[in-house]
Amino acid sequence: MENDYFSVEAILAENQKIQCTFKHEIPNMGHLGGGTERDIAILSKLQLPMWLAYVIIYSDWAEFNIPQPFGLKVRNALKAEATSVRLSNLVGAGGMWYGFGKMIMDMLSDEQASEMSEMMTKAFKGRVVELVDQAQHFAAIGPGGAGGSGSDVAASFREGLDATEREIFTLAQASAKRMKKWHEESDKAKQ
Amino acid sequence: MALPVHLRDSVTPQELEMIACQQLIEIVPLIAMEKTAFISGAYGPLRPPSKAKLPLWMAVNLKLKKKCHIIAPDWLNVEHLQDRLAQEVAKPDAFSDLPFRFSEISKVLLDVASDDLENPDQLRSLLKDLREARQAKSREGLKHLDHSELGLTGLSSMEINEIRPFFVQSMNVLTKIARSSET
Repeated sequence: MENDYFSVEAILAENQKIQCTFKHEIPNMGHLGGGTERDIAILSKLQLPMWLAYVIIYSDWAEFNIPQPFGLKVRNALKAEATSVRLSNLVGAGGMWYGFGKMIMDMLSDEQASEMSEMMTKAFKGRVVELVDQAQHFAAIGPGGAGGSGSDVAASFREGLDATEREIFTLAQASAKRMKKWHEESDKAKQ
Repeated sequence: MALPVHLRDSVTPQELEMIACQQLIEIVPLIAMEKTAFISGAYGPLRPPSKAKLPLWMAVNLKLKKKCHIIAPDWLNVEHLQDRLAQEVAKPDAFSDLPFRFSEISKVLLDVASDDLENPDQLRSLLKDLREARQAKSREGLKHLDHSELGLTGLSSMEINEIRPFFVQSMNVLTKIARSSET
């Protein structure tokens, strides 16, 4: 997920769109907005993907607002109870909420960036304990039995995980499964 | 890399068991053996009924062929483990002092030589309680995870191996999202 040119996750995370307000008029680039205009008028708002917006904002042709997945409502929900927020809903299929947030953070000023970083760090720390607990619980049941077990809260937490959290969940579950298997092995059969 | 994901970052429990089996343990041999050279060193001679020190792998091998009795290491008895368990419960911030590879050695001995140990069932349940108490503490440690360091002194080799994959991955994620606040 780092600024790794070949990382598939980074490429997917960059595909999120953010809203940019153009500060200058740009002739003949209207197709970026997906509409039928030929030019981009000054102060027009367009939804652009991150990998494009990054360059445009750095070159100071547009400004952008912090997009909705990191807006005030989400921030407050995370502050209230980090585990109840469904991060995968905020960023679409195969969500990369943390990856997206990191990219936005890199473009913001220091003060706003450290605010975002703190919000993401607190959210992550709050969710990771619940994540590992559930993973170890699931190791005992195995991948097939995931359907009927667990209360609704636990199941909806699992569905609301973003891609980075899912990776950690898999690691913890696999590790716990291996331990359990080892404990039940016996040498007596071997001679 | 050709290794499957779970082998890239951590060791398997079976490998740790093998490493732990290199430790020396005392046995009472039932057969006689001359001083024999092995790859790791020369062991013997075995003169029953006097005790001898052998690597655990060899002791297990002889035991399975019913050629020796294994003597439990001094920490593998009920009083000692009960004492450790009380320490675990009394100190919620620290781990009690147990041999680094106690989990592997105790599993092997309970498996193969349970008739040489006193109260194997009670030992099993004490070990399980110890494991659970320590797991709860490392879970607490997870809450205080930082992107740069975390101190959990006194963890045993199997416990470290168990938590390594997701602890390290979590720290990676934290490093990525924390970076901006430090530049």
